[in-house]
Amino acid sequence: MTSVYIPEMARLVGVEQMTATEKLFTIELPNGRSLGHDPGQFVMASVMGVGEAPVSVSSSPSRSNGVFELCVRQVGDVTNALHGMEPGGWIGVRGPFGNGFPVEKMRGKDLLFAPGGLGLAPLRSLINQVLDERGAFGRVIILCGARRPQELLFRDEVDEWVARDDVECLVTVDRGDDTWDGHVGVITTLFHQISVNPRNTVAATVGPPIMYRFVLMELLGKGIPESQIYLSLERRMRCGVGKCGHCQIHDLCCCQEGPVLTYAQSKGVEEAL
Amino acid sequence: MSETPSNGRPKIAFFDFASCEGCQLTVVDSLQTHLDLLNAVEIVQFREAMTEKGEDYQIAFIEGSCTREADEARLLEIREQADVVVALGACAHLGGVNALKNLHPLEDTRRWVYGDKADWYGTYEARPIGAVIEVDLAIPGCPIDREEFVRVVKAVLIGKTPPIPDYPVCVECKLKENVCLFDIGKFCLGPVVRAGCDAICPTYGDGCEGCRGFIPHPNQNAMKDVLAKAGLTVEEVMSRMTMFNTYQLQEQLVEEEGR
Amino acid sequence: MSLMVLNKGAVGPLIEALMADYRVVGPQAKGPQFAFGTLTDPAQMRLDYNTTILPPKKVLQPQQERLASYSLGGKPSVEQIIEATPTVLFGIHTCDLHAVQLLDKAFSEEYPDAHYLARRDQTILVSLECLEPCDEHSFCKSMGTLTAGEGYDLHLTDLGLAYAVDVATEAGAQILSDYGSASEAGDGDVRRLNDVLGAKWPRFTYRLEFDAAELPALLSTAYDHPLWQELGDRCLACGSCTNVCPTCYCFNVYDETNMALTEGERVRRWDSCQLDEFARVAGGENFREARAARQRHRFMRKGRYIFEKFGELGCVGCGRCIRACVADINIVDGFNAIQRSA
Ligand SMILES: Cc1cc2nc3c(=O)[nH]c(=O)nc-3n(C[C@H](O)[C@H](O)[C@H](O)COP(=O)(O)OP(=O)(O)OC[C@H]3O[C@@H](n4cnc5c(N)ncnc54)[C@H](O)[C@@H]3O)c2cc1C
Ligand code: SF4
Ligand code: SF4
Ligand code: SF4
Ligand code: SF4
Ligand code: SF4
Ligand code: FES
Repeated sequence: MTSVYIPEMARLVGVEQMTATEKLFTIELPNGRSLGHDPGQFVMASVMGVGEAPVSVSSSPSRSNGVFELCVRQVGDVTNALHGMEPGGWIGVRGPFGNGFPVEKMRGKDLLFAPGGLGLAPLRSLINQVLDERGAFGRVIILCGARRPQELLFRDEVDEWVARDDVECLVTVDRGDDTWDGHVGVITTLFHQISVNPRNTVAATVGPPIMYRFVLMELLGKGIPESQIYLSLERRMRCGVGKCGHCQIHDLCCCQEGPVLTYAQSKGVEEAL
Repeated sequence: MSETPSNGRPKIAFFDFASCEGCQLTVVDSLQTHLDLLNAVEIVQFREAMTEKGEDYQIAFIEGSCTREADEARLLEIREQADVVVALGACAHLGGVNALKNLHPLEDTRRWVYGDKADWYGTYEARPIGAVIEVDLAIPGCPIDREEFVRVVKAVLIGKTPPIPDYPVCVECKLKENVCLFDIGKFCLGPVVRAGCDAICPTYGDGCEGCRGFIPHPNQNAMKDVLAKAGLTVEEVMSRMTMFNTYQLQEQLVEEEGR
Repeated sequence: MSLMVLNKGAVGPLIEALMADYRVVGPQAKGPQFAFGTLTDPAQMRLDYNTTILPPKKVLQPQQERLASYSLGGKPSVEQIIEATPTVLFGIHTCDLHAVQLLDKAFSEEYPDAHYLARRDQTILVSLECLEPCDEHSFCKSMGTLTAGEGYDLHLTDLGLAYAVDVATEAGAQILSDYGSASEAGDGDVRRLNDVLGAKWPRFTYRLEFDAAELPALLSTAYDHPLWQELGDRCLACGSCTNVCPTCYCFNVYDETNMALTEGERVRRWDSCQLDEFARVAGGENFREARAARQRHRFMRKGRYIFEKFGELGCVGCGRCIRACVADINIVDGFNAIQRSA
């Protein structure tokens, strides 16, 4: 039996510095195989000799071209080592794991995406998949926040979303500077600028723990049902396959039943939000 | 860590302050048994093993506590030069047994055990290196563990976080399936003390005395209760807890006082 | 399959014979206590043991094991390592046997764990019926693990001069016939076995004050119970309660590379939800920072979460966590306290 813990060596074909602390890695699996992921799923990425870390797939399944992308923030051992790698290098990959966003349930619905900071990495996968099948969904609203202009990820793509007629995309930064002529304020301030038909809206938000508290309040305030609000939780993960116990939140195994959960599933659980 | 020298091997130096030099002897020992380690670095200063002195080191290992005001200047100099400062062993890491002398009058220290406030934080007393200069990492233990020294140096060379455990000695003790000393009428600080020594003292039947310092967020009150319930007097509880960690407990009191 | 009888004098020779072809692991004395270990001499085996410090899970999921070896430089190559040897695990009590069945489920569901399963596959289980409570901390009777109808290859019950051997599998039958000298049980043996089994029950007490089947429902209303804080104040976060638990299987993974940075191994080691760093993520956020929350997590896992996942309770009542806790935290008392306040 092949061990589920053994990573497959995949070729790093592109590295792009996105911000001071984030890089986008383009990775190619052997024999041109596609990863076969759903938006919201993650892989366990290894730098052999250093260790392994869970990272959301940032590219859309609809644009795979035999490669996938990871957007990685440099915070510790594995992510430091990844940041030290150059095209041609080798990354160990296991997965995709986890449940991903329920794209099927979103068809025909109005969609509200609220990515904060690095949360855009997984949501970009979903947003691009939706845009590649634009006709299958109702309104597409994107409320995007970052702390400072330099920390805004995927600038080009976000600008395209802003420019599109069939996407309502608003962008804000917590603190502006002289390069920034857009909206300034925390992400929740964008919510006042839109109105939604709550019963027909599915929302997906990903961001740091502190952001969830406020964004969730806004979404609920708009009357969107708890079971139509999706979020993705970040936990310590050592195996990705429901064995090591690290990712468990109350009775949920985050790497299997998550990382995407509805607000209905996670509310009231002190350890979740 | 910044630039490594042209031959690619980082230059390292060893310094000693108030200590028994036992940790440096352990270093000599590890270097002799791990030639790969010796080959990976260039030692430019090491009183235990060589006479010449190079001042162009990148990694400084400091053994011993700071016990005199005069030590401070030398420590600042080392900090200035080194990219990475490593506290080597309990004396440098914790103040260790040197700080025991900070512990009088005894009457006052007893109050700590009773949970009273105390204000006996004195003048110039033995202190860990980290109290004087910024320390990048510490290799705990009295003396340090040979294998751990090797692991830490390796991690520093790779640029990885050194694998110093945050969990307590009990973990290693249980994984080795030792009979718990509390089951045979002995006493042990293992539940609140940082592992990494492979529970060596309990393995040989001696209670842990805390030479590697406390784990993060130790439940000291519960530990005191456990020791008292197992039959230790207040004095005995105190002498155990302070054996290596006097400085930390005093600092803690000062902090609580402040609140 | 069948019931056999093995004279006590025949146990030594059976072990001796098995040792030639198998690693035979059995209970041995360790100071005043007991521990499972590889036998090098049949005389080391102490079938009269009460309980062991660590459960026999260490044979199936070792404290530390290598998952893979890798070589670095250019394209790293990674080879999986499966550490498994033909093993006879001899003399495990029924509480631990139930725990093995739970581990089997945990390691085979959804993403099977090749390392555990390979070892499990090569392990023959010989279990042993307890006729006396191991000590005052056990509560197997409450948890329904005081006996077992399945899960073993051979199951021994002490009849005085001989053991009754319930042969449950082909593998069990084979080692018994190839390496031992047992005979078919006669009517008298069957009667004697029933007497022994019938007589043991009154010696054990129910320590849970309610039916264990109610635990999951009970705990589902206890998330905010004051007990957790009380336990959190006393708990030292030492991790012993989980390390000695036969049903705990959490682990951490480490890469260990040689000094020349050319090769190394990926290893896993037991981990514990009671430790401060268990749920800490990069950036320093800790999702179970309070000891109270960690104690709650352990109790919930034992009495509820595992049940929801596998349909069986996560506690087999072996009492090890109670024995191991220097702070005297007692899971039965805890469950009872919650029930009383419900
Ligand atoms: C489902 C999921 C998706 C994710 N997606 C992304 C993504 O798309 N992009 C991205 O950049 N990140 C993502 N992350 C986060 C990413 O996994 C972590 O940043 C990464 O694991 C950090 O690993 P590291 O080895 O670099 O850090 P480490 O060196 O491992 O440092 C952090 C780890 O060390 C432990 N630790 C040890 N000591 C300390 C200490 N003193 N303080 C704090 N922590 C300590 C922490 O528990 C933590 O696990 C995701 C995480 C999850 C669970
Ligand atoms: S002997 Fe000490 S370290 Fe070992 S389990 Fe007991 S208390 Fe913990
Ligand atoms: S058991 Fe305690 S005293 Fe002994 S070496 Fe380890 S930390 Fe130091
Ligand atoms: S053994 Fe006791 S003190 Fe240690 S973590 Fe468990 S409950 Fe807490
Ligand atoms: S929780 Fe305690 S009593 Fe229950 S199986 Fe685990 S160690 Fe045994
Ligand atoms: S808990 Fe019960 S089954 Fe387990 S060893 Fe003790 S008496 Fe036997
Ligand atoms: S990451 Fe190991 S159980 Fe979820």
